[in-house]
Amino acid sequence: MVLEQDILPYLQWFLGGADSLGALPRFLLIVLGIGLLGLVGGYVMAAARHGVLRGGDITYRTVSAGFRELFEMSPRRIWALARLAMKEAWRRRVWVALAIFVIILMFAGWFLKTDHQDPAKLYISFVLTATTYLVLGIALLLSAFSLPGDFKSKTIYTIVTKPVRSGEIVLGRILGFTLIGTFLLVTMAVCSYVFVTRSLGHTHVVERSSVKLLPGGEGASEGQTSLESYHRHFVHLDADHRGEAESNHGHFHYVEPRGEDFRVLPAEGFMRARVPRWGSLAYLDRQGVSKERGISVGSEWTYRSFIEGSSQAAAIWTFDNIAPPKPGENSSDSDEEEGLPIGLIVRVFRTHKGVIGKPITGAIQVRNPDTGLSSDLIPFGALDAKVDERIISRKLTSTEGAKIDLYDDIVSNGRLQIVVQCLEKGQYFGFAKPDCYLRLPDGSPVLNFIKVYLSIWVQMVIVIAIGVAASTLLSGPVALLLTVSFILLGFFREFFVGVATGTEYGGGPIESLVRLVTQQNVMSPLKAGGVEPAIQGVDGVLKFLMQSLAQVLPDFSSFSTVDFAAYGYDVPADRVFQDLTTCLAYIVGLAVIGYFLLRTREVAK
Amino acid sequence: MSEEIVVQTRSLSKVYRDFWGRQKVRALKALDLEVHRGEVFGLLGPNGSGKTTTIKLLLGLLFPTSGEALVFGKNSTDVGKNERLGYLPEESYLYRFLNAEETLDFYARLFDMSPETRQERVDALIKQVGLDKARKRQLQEYSKGMTRRIGLAQALINNPELILLDEPTSGLDPLGTREMKDMILRLKDEGKTVIMCSHLLADVQDVCDRIAILHQGELKELGRVDELLTVADVTQIRAKGLSDECQNEIRDVIGRHNGEVLEMANPTTTLEELFLSIVRDSEARPGRRAPNPASKGPAPKSPAKAEPESSSESASDG
Repeated sequence: MVLEQDILPYLQWFLGGADSLGALPRFLLIVLGIGLLGLVGGYVMAAARHGVLRGGDITYRTVSAGFRELFEMSPRRIWALARLAMKEAWRRRVWVALAIFVIILMFAGWFLKTDHQDPAKLYISFVLTATTYLVLGIALLLSAFSLPGDFKSKTIYTIVTKPVRSGEIVLGRILGFTLIGTFLLVTMAVCSYVFVTRSLGHTHVVERSSVKLLPGGEGASEGQTSLESYHRHFVHLDADHRGEAESNHGHFHYVEPRGEDFRVLPAEGFMRARVPRWGSLAYLDRQGVSKERGISVGSEWTYRSFIEGSSQAAAIWTFDNIAPPKPGENSSDSDEEEGLPIGLIVRVFRTHKGVIGKPITGAIQVRNPDTGLSSDLIPFGALDAKVDERIISRKLTSTEGAKIDLYDDIVSNGRLQIVVQCLEKGQYFGFAKPDCYLRLPDGSPVLNFIKVYLSIWVQMVIVIAIGVAASTLLSGPVALLLTVSFILLGFFREFFVGVATGTEYGGGPIESLVRLVTQQNVMSPLKAGGVEPAIQGVDGVLKFLMQSLAQVLPDFSSFSTVDFAAYGYDVPADRVFQDLTTCLAYIVGLAVIGYFLLRTREVAK
Repeated sequence: MSEEIVVQTRSLSKVYRDFWGRQKVRALKALDLEVHRGEVFGLLGPNGSGKTTTIKLLLGLLFPTSGEALVFGKNSTDVGKNERLGYLPEESYLYRFLNAEETLDFYARLFDMSPETRQERVDALIKQVGLDKARKRQLQEYSKGMTRRIGLAQALINNPELILLDEPTSGLDPLGTREMKDMILRLKDEGKTVIMCSHLLADVQDVCDRIAILHQGELKELGRVDELLTVADVTQIRAKGLSDECQNEIRDVIGRHNGEVLEMANPTTTLEELFLSIVRDSEARPGRRAPNPASKGPAPKSPAKAEPESSSESASDG
């Protein structure tokens, strides 16, 4: 799973820490900045039209009326306007989006095959991505054209001549479209869930001929299932013919006896909500010297760095707050049950082909971070990007061959290190911080599915708020273009910020344009016949404006939690609350902007 | 501002500008007006004279370039004033996907009415404007007259003290026009203040107490309709059943007193009266050709009583 930025605890994110500005102070600063800018801009425009004194009077009246009307807003009026927005949306046939979605799902069944190594990932990514784009598209169209439509048909005349505050019109629209969007989203979520579970649901039969008793297994046996949906499972059975079909293609089956035969139950574990607890990551290079990062294998994406095989290079994760299981916490007292469940994802970079499909050998050690006492190597086979879930046994052997206890000897002050190495020469393992984690008990997959849809909902609401705020001033098509620009910039916010801060190659917008037209590469110094300083000067101003815009640009790419569901990880509650808080901040900010734009607009002009 | 003055404008001016702020047209020039409680006030003038602009300025749909407009003593841009006024735009700008009930219910909600009051008010208004049978039909299926009626109902939903009507009879047939005028007079009887603008002089004359005549954005005349229309040096006598001899005698008397007879003839009814009389008669006696009301004297104000259908005239004549 890709998690490029740490998810901070909610309060730390909200209020900030010693080295970072929290969301709340940041929001207040932006509000202050935009407020001052709006005040000065409004006054300058009013003064230009009506003179210095009258301009000041108009500005004062507008601002004071704004504050007064804030307390005069009526939920009943907002609800009436929201109901109207919903009826209008329904009249504009938003349900067509549902029909399109169902058609997409019907055709998707042809193209999404279950022979993929992890078909659930493919299916879940597909339905969530399709839902996101459809819902954002609908939100965009509804919000951008609604108010301009009222202005065009002049129905707004009969609204604003009632005791309706501009803020109520804006909030009513946002609420109405949000509710209709929520209805669409919930319907799509149900359809998606049914589609995924029905498409991936299957069963097997145990091939009777493959079942063999295990020597000394007291009646236990093993065998394999039939080939269904391009895969089969190894089966482990106890003396009562109960057992489990081993995990393959991202799922497993329970097996139960049926007379003299076996019955393989429906697939389980397609949709999971693993709950990881991450630690911190450090590296050792090939000489065993501590480094912040591993080596680069030439990938432009620097998210992961690599360690070399058959050398002292290692990735070392340090975890804290580890406590031994309390007595009676587990039903069984086996070492396995009392061990430490971990998950490990390895990106394998091969410099020679080897045997394709054969895992690359690596080793795991657990280490006491204070004393340096390490367990013996625990070998494992790494398949590229596959989640390896295992339990570090409580009873271990040290590198010197002594018996050691995981919690008594390795865990020190609640801390423990996991050291991973690649054992094959010429091969590399790539890691990022979230690639190794301690596994907490899984969360509910359905709840996780809902949380992912909540992240799509957040994006939808922000698009609606932007669209409605833009449409208070602009015509439908222009409001649509502005909202689309916000969405596109929001999806590529990182690049946008990179250009604004100068970390992207090729300079600012004007310099990039000149390079494009004159076919100059982005690395060499700009040659523009002596006007380079002028170009860079203009770029400086544009970059400042871009940086200012970046402060309020919604980061749509970071809102998406599709990968969490696709890879089977639980969306952390902190993340959900952060997204909801951000959404609320956008609604408040954009509603206020929309209010003043509508309040200062001549409706009948 | 006195309690009796409902609307007041002081040097109210409006200049329309283009995108660059350049003056396009001066729609209203320093208008000073006062409208008193309980009167029907007409804004009269040709197209482009500033009538609708004045109404829009009073409603806060436009902002004055200079001067000010006060409604119930509040600035016209103050939303609070809307609690006490109703507005019927020139076209009934309503949501055509709603039916009559939904339309009125929606506007009633904007006044924060309780559900009981809302339901009561909606029912009463639908009956009052005669749309009881069409209450469940979407407005897009309504005729122009029905749309105007539901438009009027939405303007009255809050039982307003002040009603602004922009071209209230625009697009209505004579029957609808008469109903609208009757409605305005009823509102006046209820003590409400009505401001209407129109370029249909007869309509204004029929219902307005006072009028302001605007031309090219300027106030040209302001006063009571009866005073403005009175021709001081002309005397009108109306009599019934005079013989030719009697009429000649009257001419002689006028001549002896150095007066001049300008006209002495049988009066004609108005086309509106003729039309209304025919429609009423047709409704009362379907299938029969209506008698010419002019031959019987002035048309009655109320619909004629229905008569038995055993008439000698055939239905095909109608």
